[in-house]
Amino acid sequence: MSNIHGKAYALNTISPMQPWKTYILRLFFWFWGIYKPLGDGLKQLSFIHFARWVIVPRHGFPWLGEPQPKNDLRYDYLLFFSNFNGTWNQYIDAFSAVLYDGLNLIWRWSEKFPGSRPVTPFKNFIVRGQPETTYYYTAYPHATTNDVKAAHRVQAALQEFAKGSQGLPPDKFADAYLQFLMKVQGDLGETGEAPVGT
Amino acid sequence: MPNKSGTIYGLTILSPIKHEGHIDTSHSLAIRKYLHKLPADGRGPFGKVSSTHMARLVVLDDVEYFGMPSCEDHLKSRYLIFESNFDGELETYLNDLATKASEEVHGIWQHCIGYPGVQNVPAFIAYMKRCQVETTFYFADVNDKTVEQTLVALQRQSAVASFIEKNQGKPPAELHRAFGEFWARLQKAPPPKPGSTPGKEFTDKLL
Repeated sequence: MSNIHGKAYALNTISPMQPWKTYILRLFFWFWGIYKPLGDGLKQLSFIHFARWVIVPRHGFPWLGEPQPKNDLRYDYLLFFSNFNGTWNQYIDAFSAVLYDGLNLIWRWSEKFPGSRPVTPFKNFIVRGQPETTYYYTAYPHATTNDVKAAHRVQAALQEFAKGSQGLPPDKFADAYLQFLMKVQGDLGETGEAPVGT
Repeated sequence: MPNKSGTIYGLTILSPIKHEGHIDTSHSLAIRKYLHKLPADGRGPFGKVSSTHMARLVVLDDVEYFGMPSCEDHLKSRYLIFESNFDGELETYLNDLATKASEEVHGIWQHCIGYPGVQNVPAFIAYMKRCQVETTFYFADVNDKTVEQTLVALQRQSAVASFIEKNQGKPPAELHRAFGEFWARLQKAPPPKPGSTPGKEFTDKLL
């Protein structure tokens, strides 16, 4: 299935919006870009590598001249792309449980958005606007977002330890090594194949 | 700039797909068939352009109708959506796509309207930019590390875990010597290749 590569899932959703409503949504995104509550919320979830929202105005789908026919759309479109860890159901459930306020503010401008709670109509809405991913690539398929963040912490601690322990006598080295172990012990999970889920 | 988060660029491209003429296989189906056969690991086009963290291609047939009271809306062209998250700047990345993954890029985009080929790199870059749409809000959880830095960190994490496991309870002098040798080997190790490298293979060779 092309939506999944290793531990990453590629979700796409596309939903129509009345053109006048997109100005309101742009204002929210502008605010969130400055004051960061949405980015902080996504960071706390810690299972999304990358995500983006793209508003395409009804005249904004690329037109490259003849012979391509011109689109004549009534709606602007909100495109959402996410690269997350876990299953589709886990992801939507977590979104609905934790970020429901933010989600409602983003999608309430889309036609027929039922709200992010209860979760079943919300899932139906997502499914309806979800084109399948045709090809999906990730440079580190066996690592989750948490694995990546933990690995960078280990890497920083290792370099600090290797530099700081140079020239120490064995006894002092062993003490410093113990301190290093205590520092990294929570970040030493093994990466590998993803478990099978739905 | 919404297209960027830290040092990561979020590229979104919508390339209109050629219309079906009197041909046996539609262009959208031809893209799907080509992508189906393309390796999704490091042997594929984005493994060759090693600044790519994650990328996807989606054939978009049409927009969906969500029901009354909204109106039906239809695209007049199918679109190939290209979504990529990469290190650095756009022009460098597009240049790398055209030069390092030219065969695959041609195999995919030859079915798109206005595609000028990859031989003329400036024309290809200009074409891709014409098809680019601006990201409205972009999020990257780790936005200050390159692909290579992340791959190195993941393998070192795995190596450190194995080293700790194999050297439990050793006397200080022996531990000191073992770590010195381990650190030297680790620093000389080539950076891992993107796309498919599980940490354990590397660790087993190293220890």
